[in-house]
Amino acid sequence: MAAASASLQSFPSNLKLSRTTGVTTASASSFLSFKNSINPVFCKKLAANVNVSGSRKTFLVKNQVNPSDASRPTKVHQLCVYEINERDRGSPAYLRLGQKPVNSLGDLVPFTNKVNSLILILDFSFFVYDNKDLKVLPNLVQVYSADLQTRLGITAGICILIKNMPETKGDRYEAIYSFHLGDYGQISVQGAYVTTEDTYLSVTGGTGVFAGAYGQVKLQQLVFPFKLFYTFYLQGLSADLPSELLVTPVPPSPAVEASPAAKATEPGSTGPNFSD
Amino acid sequence: MFHVLAKSSGPLAPHSGYVDLLEKPKNKKDLKDLLIPVQVYSADPQTRLGITAGICILIKNMPETKGDRYEAIYSFHLGDYGQISVQGAYVTTEDTYLSVTGGTGVFAGAYGQVKLQQLVFPFKVFYTFYLQGLSADMPAELLVTPVPPSPAVEASPAAKAAEPRATSPNYSD
Repeated sequence: MAAASASLQSFPSNLKLSRTTGVTTASASSFLSFKNSINPVFCKKLAANVNVSGSRKTFLVKNQVNPSDASRPTKVHQLCVYEINERDRGSPAYLRLGQKPVNSLGDLVPFTNKVNSLILILDFSFFVYDNKDLKVLPNLVQVYSADLQTRLGITAGICILIKNMPETKGDRYEAIYSFHLGDYGQISVQGAYVTTEDTYLSVTGGTGVFAGAYGQVKLQQLVFPFKLFYTFYLQGLSADLPSELLVTPVPPSPAVEASPAAKATEPGSTGPNFSD
Repeated sequence: MFHVLAKSSGPLAPHSGYVDLLEKPKNKKDLKDLLIPVQVYSADPQTRLGITAGICILIKNMPETKGDRYEAIYSFHLGDYGQISVQGAYVTTEDTYLSVTGGTGVFAGAYGQVKLQQLVFPFKVFYTFYLQGLSADMPAELLVTPVPPSPAVEASPAAKAAEPRATSPNYSD
């Protein structure tokens, strides 16, 4: 566990969104850029600088918006959630349909876990993590708020095994699932899940406060396959995310655990009509 | 916003419902639910429009409510008009919202959400789509006054028999 947590230093700890016409990047930064161009009438650039313990990772989002599509909001909202498998939902259900002794194409894995969420708003100033002491608690499959104080809902969907990679002792899955966050609504995602590395998935849609959502989400595994940390980069929302979802994040590490009140879904520690 | 009625011929088959298509530019106040049966009819329901096709993944059985939670990933195939792809929760005992993940044809560029209302589990579902991102208004043929959703709703005999005057162009089958 110590080795695992030592290797997990590179998590986003500071987030800053500045609307700039140019992007300045540190020399050692890795640059992720994607463009969504419909008709280049005008160009709006949003830059999110994620400071990852010494190395800077910069996301450039460039939207070229057609005036007839100008009603689709482009502000990037950042939302972080923890997905934790508490092993009390019969999940995952590994269907070895490929009928081979090793994981192979044809295997399907329906799953559902619990969600704790963490929400960061990009146009705030830098968040500074203070190193809180984290309790060591058993892993659970729930979605909790990012300070791990609030149970928000569940994930539900399926992973399709694409490739077994014995050389890295990992697997590649294609995952299609949704985050159900009670009264707030749901977010649907689709994309690659590789057990040995972080991946990005597409945000295919949302309902409720997330209606009209598009963008991407970063998946980080803290403890395979029980604890995952997600960072959503959502655009297309009609309004800012509710203030009650804005919490100071607990830094992701393998030792994170939901608070006992959140795990017990006590009334003060759950989102409204949290999904179960 | 538009509505679809879906009627299924089997348990948890894709939905069939009557489709009532009323495009609304923004907010969704009227919710017409759509069921996900196999055949898709217009919301009157006088016209056979197409089919749904996809999968429901059982997530959780809820014995206390005698219901199940599924994650549903499927598309509405509406003949020459195109298709709409959706993803989201299907809970057999209550209405749910699903994300509209995309569309083709007249629905190209679609995003938004759809409300699912079960009329008769699991055979009749009423859907209300709240679509944004369409490049043009939906064809007039799809904009019909909906029959209020109730368990007794039935597609017209002509639509069920897929007679030529009661079907949309190249309706999916």
